[in-house]
Amino acid sequence: MEALLSALIGVLTAGGVYLMLRGRSFPVVLGLTLLSYAVNLFLFAMGRLAIGQPPVIGTGLTGYADPLPQALVLTAIVISFAMTAFVIMLALKARAELGDDHVDAEHKP
Amino acid sequence: MSLLLLVLVPFLAAALVPWLCRHGRGVGAWGGAAAALSAMALLAASLPTALAEGSLVQRLDWIPQAGLNLSFRLDGLGLLFAGLILGIGLLVILYALYYLSERDSLGRLYAYLLLFMGSMLGVVLSENLIQLLIFWELTSLSSFLLIGYWRHRQDARTGARMALAVTGAGGLALLGGILLLGEIVGSYELSAVLAAGDLIRGHELYRPTLILILLGAFAKSAQFPFHFWLPHAMAAPTPVSAYLHSATMVKAGVFLLARLFPALSGTWEWTLLVGGAGLATLLVGAVIALFKHDLKGLLAYSTVSHLGLITALFGIGTPLAAVAGVFHIINHATFKAGLFMAAGIIDHECGTRDMRRINGLWKYMPYTATLAMVAAAAMAGVPLFNGFLSKEMFFAEAAEMADRLSFGWLLPAAVTFAGVFAVAYSLRFIHDVFFNGKPIDLPKTPHEPPRWMKAPVEILVVLCLLVGILPGLTVAPLLGVVAAAVLQAPPPAFNIALWHGFNAALWMSVIALAGGILLYAGRKPLFAWHARNEGLLDAKRIYERLLGALLAAAVGITRGFDNASLQRMLLVFMLAILGLGIAGWMGSGSPLSGARASMPVDPVSGLAALAMVVATVATVALHRQRFVALVLVGSVGLLVSLTFVKFSAPDLALTQLSVEVVTIILLLLALYFLPHYSPAESSAARRLRDAGIAGLVGLGVAALAWAVLSRPFSSISGYYLAHSVPGGGGGNVVNVILVDFRGFDTLGEITVLALAGLAIYAMLSNTRLQGHTGDADGRAWDGDPHPAIMASLTRLLLPLALLVSVFILLRGHNLPGGGFIAGLVTAVALIMQYLANGVAWTHARLPANMHPAIAAGLGIATLTGLASFHFEHPFLTSTFGHLHWPLVGDIHLASAMAFDLGVYLVVVGATLLILIHLGLMHNASHDAAATASGEAR
Amino acid sequence: MSHLPIAPILLPLCAGILLLMLRHVDIRLRRALALAAVLAQIGVALALTRAVADGAILSYALGAWPAPYGIILVADRLAAWMLLLASVLALFPLWHASHGLDTRGRHFHVLYQLQLFGLSGAFLTGDVFNLFVFFEVLLLASYGLVLHGGGVERIRAGLHYVVINLAGSSLFLIAVGALYGLYGTLNMADLARLMPATPAENLGPARAAGLLLFAVFALKAALLPLYLWLPAAYASTSAPVAALFAIMTKVGAYAILRASTLLFGAEAGGLAGLLDAWLLPLALATLLAGLLGVLAARHLREQAAYLVVASVGTLLAAFALGSHAGLAAGLYYLPHSTFAAAALFLLAERIAAARGAQADRFEAGPRMRGEYWLGALFFLAAILIAGLPPLSGFIGKFLILQAALAHPARAWILAVLLVGGLLALIALARAGSLFFLRVERQRDDAPQAPAPVAPAVGLLLLGLGLTVAAGPVHAFAGEIAEQLLQPRLYIEAVLGGRP
Repeated sequence: MEALLSALIGVLTAGGVYLMLRGRSFPVVLGLTLLSYAVNLFLFAMGRLAIGQPPVIGTGLTGYADPLPQALVLTAIVISFAMTAFVIMLALKARAELGDDHVDAEHKP
Repeated sequence: MSLLLLVLVPFLAAALVPWLCRHGRGVGAWGGAAAALSAMALLAASLPTALAEGSLVQRLDWIPQAGLNLSFRLDGLGLLFAGLILGIGLLVILYALYYLSERDSLGRLYAYLLLFMGSMLGVVLSENLIQLLIFWELTSLSSFLLIGYWRHRQDARTGARMALAVTGAGGLALLGGILLLGEIVGSYELSAVLAAGDLIRGHELYRPTLILILLGAFAKSAQFPFHFWLPHAMAAPTPVSAYLHSATMVKAGVFLLARLFPALSGTWEWTLLVGGAGLATLLVGAVIALFKHDLKGLLAYSTVSHLGLITALFGIGTPLAAVAGVFHIINHATFKAGLFMAAGIIDHECGTRDMRRINGLWKYMPYTATLAMVAAAAMAGVPLFNGFLSKEMFFAEAAEMADRLSFGWLLPAAVTFAGVFAVAYSLRFIHDVFFNGKPIDLPKTPHEPPRWMKAPVEILVVLCLLVGILPGLTVAPLLGVVAAAVLQAPPPAFNIALWHGFNAALWMSVIALAGGILLYAGRKPLFAWHARNEGLLDAKRIYERLLGALLAAAVGITRGFDNASLQRMLLVFMLAILGLGIAGWMGSGSPLSGARASMPVDPVSGLAALAMVVATVATVALHRQRFVALVLVGSVGLLVSLTFVKFSAPDLALTQLSVEVVTIILLLLALYFLPHYSPAESSAARRLRDAGIAGLVGLGVAALAWAVLSRPFSSISGYYLAHSVPGGGGGNVVNVILVDFRGFDTLGEITVLALAGLAIYAMLSNTRLQGHTGDADGRAWDGDPHPAIMASLTRLLLPLALLVSVFILLRGHNLPGGGFIAGLVTAVALIMQYLANGVAWTHARLPANMHPAIAAGLGIATLTGLASFHFEHPFLTSTFGHLHWPLVGDIHLASAMAFDLGVYLVVVGATLLILIHLGLMHNASHDAAATASGEAR
Repeated sequence: MSHLPIAPILLPLCAGILLLMLRHVDIRLRRALALAAVLAQIGVALALTRAVADGAILSYALGAWPAPYGIILVADRLAAWMLLLASVLALFPLWHASHGLDTRGRHFHVLYQLQLFGLSGAFLTGDVFNLFVFFEVLLLASYGLVLHGGGVERIRAGLHYVVINLAGSSLFLIAVGALYGLYGTLNMADLARLMPATPAENLGPARAAGLLLFAVFALKAALLPLYLWLPAAYASTSAPVAALFAIMTKVGAYAILRASTLLFGAEAGGLAGLLDAWLLPLALATLLAGLLGVLAARHLREQAAYLVVASVGTLLAAFALGSHAGLAAGLYYLPHSTFAAAALFLLAERIAAARGAQADRFEAGPRMRGEYWLGALFFLAAILIAGLPPLSGFIGKFLILQAALAHPARAWILAVLLVGGLLALIALARAGSLFFLRVERQRDDAPQAPAPVAPAVGLLLLGLGLTVAAGPVHAFAGEIAEQLLQPRLYIEAVLGGRP
């Protein structure tokens, strides 16, 4: 399972990186989204994997999954959401101002 | 600290003089003169002690721990130079008053001159070598200002920059040398360095030290091959040239040679480098000087030549040679200053400096002519003038040296050869200017200058004669003191006299004089030859080519690497992290896999993983069809949240899900303003390259993940599980961590969210975006923006959704849920209203402005944290109690929940602020588009 | 109990929230409020510096949760020094911006305060993940500020700046995650305690994670080859923001210094000196690359931006020496380079305004009004930033060179720094003679509203202050270095007596 998840993380990262290297703002945003998935999974997995052991006390479970990475990932998700939202809007602004959605666009009114 | 004061006086005056000049040029001149005089007074005041004890040293701590202190030293050498700087400075100030035309700002010139004077005083009175370097560089900077004084002239600007570049570069080399010297000696104080001569000469660092220091000195004293900046510095007003190139700027280099003579000299390296450079400069300068048609050009190159002579003397390295060197410093300063001033007068009176046009001035200004001729005779080394004496000593030393070398006879020969040219160019200066027929169409008819403009020249010329005729009475005592300071030892017995009998030196002088006259007589063919081969080896041109190449290289490299392209940046970034990651792992020799046992893969997870891979690959493959790619990304996100469910992270799953929804909505709205297809831009090769890099990065991350996951693990998390309920008052450990154990993270995180909202609001306000009037295939949008079914449905859903979100918020502390998820649910519900019912309808019922929500949310969260101050607890310390709530049941009511409420508000506020803003523009553009298409139909 | 360590974080946060609530009141009041907040911040930073000057390391457990479980703020000499620097610097761009820039867009003051909030948090936190969070705070605030006022170039450069930093943030998470996965903790002191005992088979991932973390910080610090985002972003944004950003690269430098002394210091066993091997060559290369850019710059703001890159190179070269003298020299150079760069950015705007059509492009332009004063100021700034005597720039460079003499690669360091000085000299002489010597005619077009010059003067005076007070300042820098070279002190202060 661990190997499988590592592979998944790798695939997501590769996809994200490839899209980030594209020339247009929209694919770059998609790439960032994919990359953030990969990163969140990576960070989450660092607490090692556990099945059927949600870290909620009082549900009569014996073992619990590591709650800390979960909390970290939750924070990371929200932050990356904020960042993604910002970069999307910036892309729109750039399109409006530069008249082109290429990330290296020179000004074409 | 009389010496510190002495150095500071000119700087203070420099700040004052421009203001004085507003009250009349004379006032300014007096101000400058007063500065020089008071500095002289201070010098005289501290003279007795200096002479009594050999040297007077005064210290003031600056950065003692780094060996950098303000420490000044007055001894014979310093005294001599300070005297020259102040004396000639005084004359130059007087002279400039008459030289400078009304149009030029006298105040600015005086300010620069005084800055320079102060810097020079600093150089010659420094005990600490780093401090000496500081003043050294200040002379470069102030000379830059002086040379560039006539800023409207191109040659002045380039001359100034060249001087700064060359001498500045020399200064940096000198800094390196001094640092090494300090490393060897363990101190930058001169007294220590001068006493450590043998240690220095024996040290492994001696050679680099010597070379660096000499580079500095040679650059400053315009020694070959750095001589080229000096003639171009002649673009400066003549008073400046008279000051910089007689007594001060260029003398700083030879001063340094004299200063460090006991520490560095006495090795064959020293003799070779210093002597060689000096001799080369002596010859080059002397020869070129003869061919210069510009009056100041001739003087400039003769200066170069004489500096070479002095350097050569120090290079010879015998005590007597050092004495001769010092002596020639004095003589050259006097006659060269006089000559420059005379040249200035001629320039001033004739309006040109071209000796091909200036002829026969004897008729117009016999008095000035006499003065100039005396000075020129001194320059030529004619008996009865001071130049003769030191040159005679130089000849003697050269002849003396010759016996100690193989091919030694070359030395006196070369020296005499230079002497011949010196006589020749001095003769030209006299004959070409004052006789040799009539002036050729001068801009104005020359006549004698105002009385006080000649005075400085008179004084200098009288000095030349006094020293020349009665050396024993005038200069000998001073020379003794200076020599003692230079050698740091009792000076050798020397006897300066006009007549030493028929010795080699005398014959050399005779040859020089006779040869010079002959050479000048037969100059015509020489000039013709020179005119043909002018600029064969022009150091300036080489310098400019180098500089041009440097600039070109800089532009090429910079633009080549930093092409302001995001794709380039990201590429470099990816390569960098690849390199670092791999480099980090390599050399450690750790195995990839650890000892920890893996969990088995169940078929469902396998399928899900396969689906995720497919979706990801599809996203990449189809990314140019943006809607499709977006849908695929959404499905990947869905699968990610399923992964969280699978691995017992319900909170994450919920959060991921709700964030996913909002993100997708955002991207959809964004696509309304963006092209629906990406053009195929990158070449196949480019795509292959990117795919390769992406693959490698993915591989690296996967490897790192596997490496860690396959290794045994122990963490601090046990603590959270143990203390969540007793300490945090909540059963949902993740939520308790978020709002309590690590609540500070969360505070930062909602600040990020709030910032995103505010920054986007700030960015998009007063931006107009143009949307599409139809989809990519040209089909117009549906005319009806708000379908009835969806509208009514969402209106029903809203209260329900709000209720759910409140429920999630309340239970969050114990069961999966919490502020974020609740907030996002609310946000989604409200956004649905916008989408379904339109902005107008919704605004009628909801506040459009979300700033208060954000502010309130941040405020509540912060205040919750601050509340604990009241109980003498650190920020964000939580407390909790129980409360029975109908329907919901018995719940913990933790202070952390107030914090969570803040989180909730910020999430709702920020999310809506972003989406509404986009939606508003969307609507505006959409309605416009709709009406447009309506009219079209 | 004393809340002093958290005060520098809460003050700008509360000020920011307050300014957000008061967004509709008269701008003058908000300006007063913002300035007051920064002044108070300076006071707090001074108090904190006084509190730690004697070598005490204050640790503040948020939520009263003990280390390493809760988030700990750690105020040592270095943190206090950085806070003081940041708050003092912050005053001048704010002052400058209060002459009208702050009304050329929304929420300037809120963003500004929250930027300071992020900076303070980054300097004070003792927790790697919390450091990530504060990096994000100061980044998002900086995104807002970079784009403030709008303009095409600004948007494009801003987009690049944002995206490259998003990539950096993802990398940060990966590095932090890997460290947690290996050591099971996020507290820096705890990491420092555990790292020397890293089992041999874990060294590979640990070193990789460490270098990835280094890459993140290098991106923030604009170390070659990761500085490409900087020139355009700094050159195209408004002068006050660029001036404030003089501190942004220093955050990266701070993080590198903290990591290389605390986590990868001499006592870190298999991880000892992990960063230093990379830092010196990269820093020297950055210095040269930056100065080539300085020579190639097309206008003054671009030149200033590349000078920032070069100063990062110089600073990190000093840190890379690793010795007490090296760190001390670097910590003296740090405030100098920050103030000098900020001053140059502010001056550049003033010069551009005074030149009219030519703006600050390197081409012959008209004679400026008040050119003597401007010229003198520019001359001063140039001397300062080019490291020419007698000002703090030279002293800093001298201290670094002196420290470098003890390093095996001293020949290289000397050569690069000295040649670098020459390049800066040539470039700035060129700029100066273009602006102030080669004036062709009077201004023909109507003069713009002149930017204020007082804040720039203030920054230059700070530079002079650093020169005069070089002795004590360098002495304190030495004490900081002394503390940094004994990570044990930090660890004990945070974890108490735990083994």
